[in-house]
Amino acid sequence: MAWKSIKITKGSGGYGGPLIITPTEQKHQFIYVTGGERPSIVDRIEKLTGMKAVDAFKTSIPDEETALAIIDCGGTLRCGIYPKKGILTVNVLPTGKSGPLQKFIHPEIYVSAVTDKQVALVDDSTETIATTAVTAPISETEETTAPKYDSSKKLTEQLHHTSFIAKIGTGAGKVVATFNQAAKESVQTVINTIIPFMAFVALLIGIIQGSGIGKIFAKLMSPLAGNVVGLCVIGFVCSLPFLSPLLGPGAVIGQVIGTLIGLEIGKGTIPPQYALPALFAINTQNGCDFIPVGLGLEEADSKTVEVGVPSVLYSRFINGVPRVLVAWVASFGLYAK
Amino acid sequence: MKYITGFASGFMNLFQTGGKTFITWMSTIIPVVLLLLVLMNTIISFLGEERMEKLAKASSRNPITRYMILPFLAAFMLGNPMSFSLGRFMPEFYKPSYYAALAQFNHTSNGVFPHINPGELFIWLGIAQGVQKLGLNTMDLAVRYLLVGLVMNFIGGWVTDFTTAYVCKTSGVILSKEVKLSVKEQGETDAA
Repeated sequence: MAWKSIKITKGSGGYGGPLIITPTEQKHQFIYVTGGERPSIVDRIEKLTGMKAVDAFKTSIPDEETALAIIDCGGTLRCGIYPKKGILTVNVLPTGKSGPLQKFIHPEIYVSAVTDKQVALVDDSTETIATTAVTAPISETEETTAPKYDSSKKLTEQLHHTSFIAKIGTGAGKVVATFNQAAKESVQTVINTIIPFMAFVALLIGIIQGSGIGKIFAKLMSPLAGNVVGLCVIGFVCSLPFLSPLLGPGAVIGQVIGTLIGLEIGKGTIPPQYALPALFAINTQNGCDFIPVGLGLEEADSKTVEVGVPSVLYSRFINGVPRVLVAWVASFGLYAK
Repeated sequence: MKYITGFASGFMNLFQTGGKTFITWMSTIIPVVLLLLVLMNTIISFLGEERMEKLAKASSRNPITRYMILPFLAAFMLGNPMSFSLGRFMPEFYKPSYYAALAQFNHTSNGVFPHINPGELFIWLGIAQGVQKLGLNTMDLAVRYLLVGLVMNFIGGWVTDFTTAYVCKTSGVILSKEVKLSVKEQGETDAA
C-alpha cells in the first residue's frame, strides 16, 4: 500500500496550520480522541493517506508512533496536551490558543475548526519508497484494528444512528466553543489594539487640556473644523496625492485630528452637526499608504499594482472634497434642536 | 519651593486629566464594543468565509455589486484587512477600484459596527466621543456616516475605474477586464 501526504488547513473561524502530514514507516497511525462520536474527517484522512485510525478512548498507541491526533476540545486540556507531546493536532472545533497548556499551541503543530473540506492531498508521493519494508507491521496493526474500525460507511452510519445523543452533545459543544473562541479573540483585540490606542489618546488629551495647548489649538481648529469651507480645506490637504500616503499609516494622524475635533465638539466650540463632514474630512487619505499591500491581498499582478497605486491616489484626490460636501449636505437636521 | 510644587502638581494634572478620560472610555465604550465584537465574531465564524467567496465571484460583473454591495458585506464579514482578499475574484482592471471602495467601507461602517476595524476605531470614536459628551445619541451620527459612505464609497470605486483607465493610457499598460481562467477561477465558470 502507498501512503500519501495530506495538507490540513484551518476552517472557518479556526486557528493555526496549515499542517502537512506525511505518514512514515514509524508514524502510520493516527488517533482520534473525541467524545463518543467518530468525526467524518477521520474517515477522510484514512481514505486519503492510507493511515490507520485508532480510537484513543479504547486503544492506545505509543506517542512516537502517532502521526496525528484528532480532537474535539473546546479549549481546556486536550487541545494543549498533544501539542505538548509534539504530536500534530487537529481540532474539529474552532478553538485557538487556550487552556492551561496554551503555550504549546502554535500554528506549526496545531490547526482547528477542521472539516472534511480542509483536508486535501499533497501531490508528492516520495513516501512510497519505504512501503515494502514495513508491510509486516502494517498487517499486524490491520489485524488488531481492522475489525473494530472498518472505514466502510455502513459502520460509521450505524455509529451515527446509535449515538444521536452524542451528536446533540457535540452540536451544543460546537456552539459554545465557537462563542467562547469568539470571546477570546475579541478580548485579545480589545487588549492588543483598542486599549493601547485609548491610553495614547487619553494621554494626549490630558496633555492638551491640562497644559493650555488646548486653548491655542481651539483657536486654530474651530475656524477650520467649525465650517464647511475649513473642512473642505482639511479634506483637500489630506487627499493631495503626494501627501496622502504619508498621512495614512495606521490612520494615526486621522485618529488624533479626529480626537482633537471631538474635544472641541464636546466643549461646544464646534457645533455637533459638523461631526459628520468632519468624519469624512479627516479621512480623505483613507488607505493611501496601504495600496500595494491591499492589492497584494487581492492577489493583483505587479502591473496592476503599478497602475493601481497612482490610480487610487488620483481617485482619492478627486473624491476627497466632494465627499466632505456631500456629508455636509447630509448633516442638515442632525442634532437640530 | 513654591514653583517646584506648582510645576509638579501641574505636571501630574496632565496625567490625572488623561486618566479620567481613559477610565470614562473604559467603563462606557469598552464593554459595549467588546460584547459586540464577541457576537459578530461568532456570527462570522458560523457563516464562514466560503459563502463570502461565492458572493465575491458573483459580484464582479457590475459596478453596483462590485463597489457597493460586495465591499459593504466584505467589510462587515471579514473586517480590515482580510476583506481585501476577496478582491482576488475581480478582473485585474477592477482591483484598484475595489480597493478604493473597500478601504473606505472599513471606516464608514465602523460607527455602527465597530468590529470591522477596531484598530482604527478612533477615526470614528475621536469625533463621536465629543458628540457623546454633549449627551447626544451617537447612533444618529453613525447611521448617517454609514449611509453617506454607502453612496460616496461606491462613487469612489467607480471613479477609480476612470483614473485606472487614465493611468493605463498614459503608461501604456493594458489590464484585463475579464476574469482570468486560471485553475483557481475554474470553479467560477462551473458555478456560473
